[in-house]
Amino acid sequence: MMSALRSGLTLKTREAIAGWLFVSPILTGFLIFFVGPLIAVFYYSTTEWNLLSQQSRFVGMENYVDALTRNDTFWHVLGNSLVFAAGLVPLNMALALGLAIALSRPFRGVVVFRTLFFAPVITSAVAWAIIWTFLLQHESGAVNRALSLVGIDGPNWLHEPRWAMAAVIVTRVLKTVGLNMILYIAALQSIPRDYEEAARLEGANGWDIFRRITWPLLAPTTLVIMVITVVGSLKVFDHIYLMTGGGPQNATLVLAFYIYEQGFKFFNTGYASALAVVLFVLILALTVLQMLLKTVRK
Amino acid sequence: MIKRLIIATALTGTFASAAAAEELRFTVWTGSEAHLAMLNGIAESFAETHPDVTVKFDTIPFGDYVQKLTLQLAGGNPPDLGWLLESSAPAFVNAGVLEDVSGVLEATEGYDYADFSEPAMGLWTKGDAVYGIPFSTSPFLIYFNASLYDAAGLETPAERAADGTWTWEQLKSDAAALRDADAGVWGYETVDGQGYDARVMHNLMPIVRSYGGDAWTDGICTLDSKESAAAVQLFHDMVYADKSTVPPGEQGDFFSGNAALTMTQISRVSKLADAGFDWGIAPLPSGPAGVASTVGQAAVVAFAQGKNKEIAAEFLAHMTSEENVAGMAEFFPPARKSVLESDAFLSSNPAVQPEQMEIVAAGIEGGSVLPSHERYPQIEAAARPDFDALWAADADVPAVLARLCDDIDPLLK
Repeated sequence: MMSALRSGLTLKTREAIAGWLFVSPILTGFLIFFVGPLIAVFYYSTTEWNLLSQQSRFVGMENYVDALTRNDTFWHVLGNSLVFAAGLVPLNMALALGLAIALSRPFRGVVVFRTLFFAPVITSAVAWAIIWTFLLQHESGAVNRALSLVGIDGPNWLHEPRWAMAAVIVTRVLKTVGLNMILYIAALQSIPRDYEEAARLEGANGWDIFRRITWPLLAPTTLVIMVITVVGSLKVFDHIYLMTGGGPQNATLVLAFYIYEQGFKFFNTGYASALAVVLFVLILALTVLQMLLKTVRK
Repeated sequence: MIKRLIIATALTGTFASAAAAEELRFTVWTGSEAHLAMLNGIAESFAETHPDVTVKFDTIPFGDYVQKLTLQLAGGNPPDLGWLLESSAPAFVNAGVLEDVSGVLEATEGYDYADFSEPAMGLWTKGDAVYGIPFSTSPFLIYFNASLYDAAGLETPAERAADGTWTWEQLKSDAAALRDADAGVWGYETVDGQGYDARVMHNLMPIVRSYGGDAWTDGICTLDSKESAAAVQLFHDMVYADKSTVPPGEQGDFFSGNAALTMTQISRVSKLADAGFDWGIAPLPSGPAGVASTVGQAAVVAFAQGKNKEIAAEFLAHMTSEENVAGMAEFFPPARKSVLESDAFLSSNPAVQPEQMEIVAAGIEGGSVLPSHERYPQIEAAARPDFDALWAADADVPAVLARLCDDIDPLLK
């Protein structure tokens, strides 16, 4: 039977069938667990659906109109998300690059340092947030006690609107910078040493080498890191949930947390779905924009 | 052939038996072994009359309880029974997700429904329908560190309550006197240290009501009333003027001995089992409008989407029978008058003296339940930025409360 089947198919067709069979498990999972929910969210975003009572009615684009034109909180929340991303992304990338440059060459104890900076990435987000909440306590926290040693009276970091976002951004950077550092180290180590040696023979100093050789060659890695860091920062939820709950005075209320509140605290599932679609479109647009900028530069 | 018949008969018997057996799933937020042992004991006694029924208690952490429960209901995997807090009651009752158990309660022999007072049942009934029976009606009390009071030579809250001089002003004065910054001892700690966030109402309502105010009345916010503002100002002064109270962003823990006073419920007594200090319990202080006992309430409910609604309602009736309510009283102050007034209740908790349990009983009898509303989560979210604004040393308390009422009034309608 199989041989008859084989004899009736071309090699290309048989290879195609084999290929599809190999990818079918992951493809099936992708369709069920990603594409399906994505379509469902688009549909739910056009309904007024109360999660608790399970009452639903089609409202078309009403949820979007409501969010974009009538809800001041939405724009405040969106602004917070963008501020969070604008604060976190450059800080994270600059620190990751600096650490990578410092730790990309072999020296005694380099593995220990790399492990230390990478450890927060695999640390539980809950433990990280709780520890930092203690460290950032107003009077008894270690951060303000350290500042007091140099004569600085530290603020109540997580309970003052003007400081809370900064505190959350910095603690998030410290949690996630290790991953970007590893990516940069891998990229730095893939740059042939010949380029640097040749440049030095030509009289280039360290800054020249970085600016004209290292940085351009890191560009593909930088793009990847930027995209994943921007996406990650716009989706931040656990950090906010655990450290500030969106406060004080909504200063750290970001879009992902607001979606959670609308969906699972207020039971406005349709409205939450519309906000999720807005977040999806925002992330997609920023990702495409970053890709385009890279293309234009080329 | 005969062998096949024997196997088929045996299998049929097994399946028939499995089909008859029922398992009730009951969601709770306690993970306490003592609580679960007590609940399992109630389940075992239910099996005496329902031998094919087993009850599985499914613990969901308190912080996630409502969300996870809602997702289970929405996802078509509803539990048969569960616990609900007073703040969730209106939304769940109005959403129609709770089963009306009045018929089963009426049909249960010896079930004295009238033993539950009307105020106790207020949140759980709608017309003649009964959607839940309170299993815990727990008033807030003042816990004090008697060792610190003794060292300071101050009259204790219990003594002051006995002689009628236990007021919020006195608590404020005691907290200021007992605050010892060098020793890391605070004067007063809010409810579980969460009185500025999730439990701000638990923290403020007893003070506000004793000053004659309230959160809202007849769909109108009353937190901006003169009385409410005076009460909140008193607490604000404790935090920022006296610096006697653990402020937002700091940690204090009465149960570890680093706060002289706290306000909480009787279930927290278990945290004092190994306390390295003497402690005592006192009623809430009085204010200009007298003592305003405030009660947190939780009820056991059966879910309308449950697969075994009839049996679930029967278990609810069994669990809230006079006998089982008396058994639960050690941990969960009862809403049944007969149990509340019994001598057995006063000695139900070995860690608490009968005269201290009398404070609990009095708190329940004269208490009013914490504020609730169908849109409580939205109200909580709308009020959050205003409450946050309140927790600053230079906050204009009446102005912030006025803004808060402006923000939540539309949601109260």
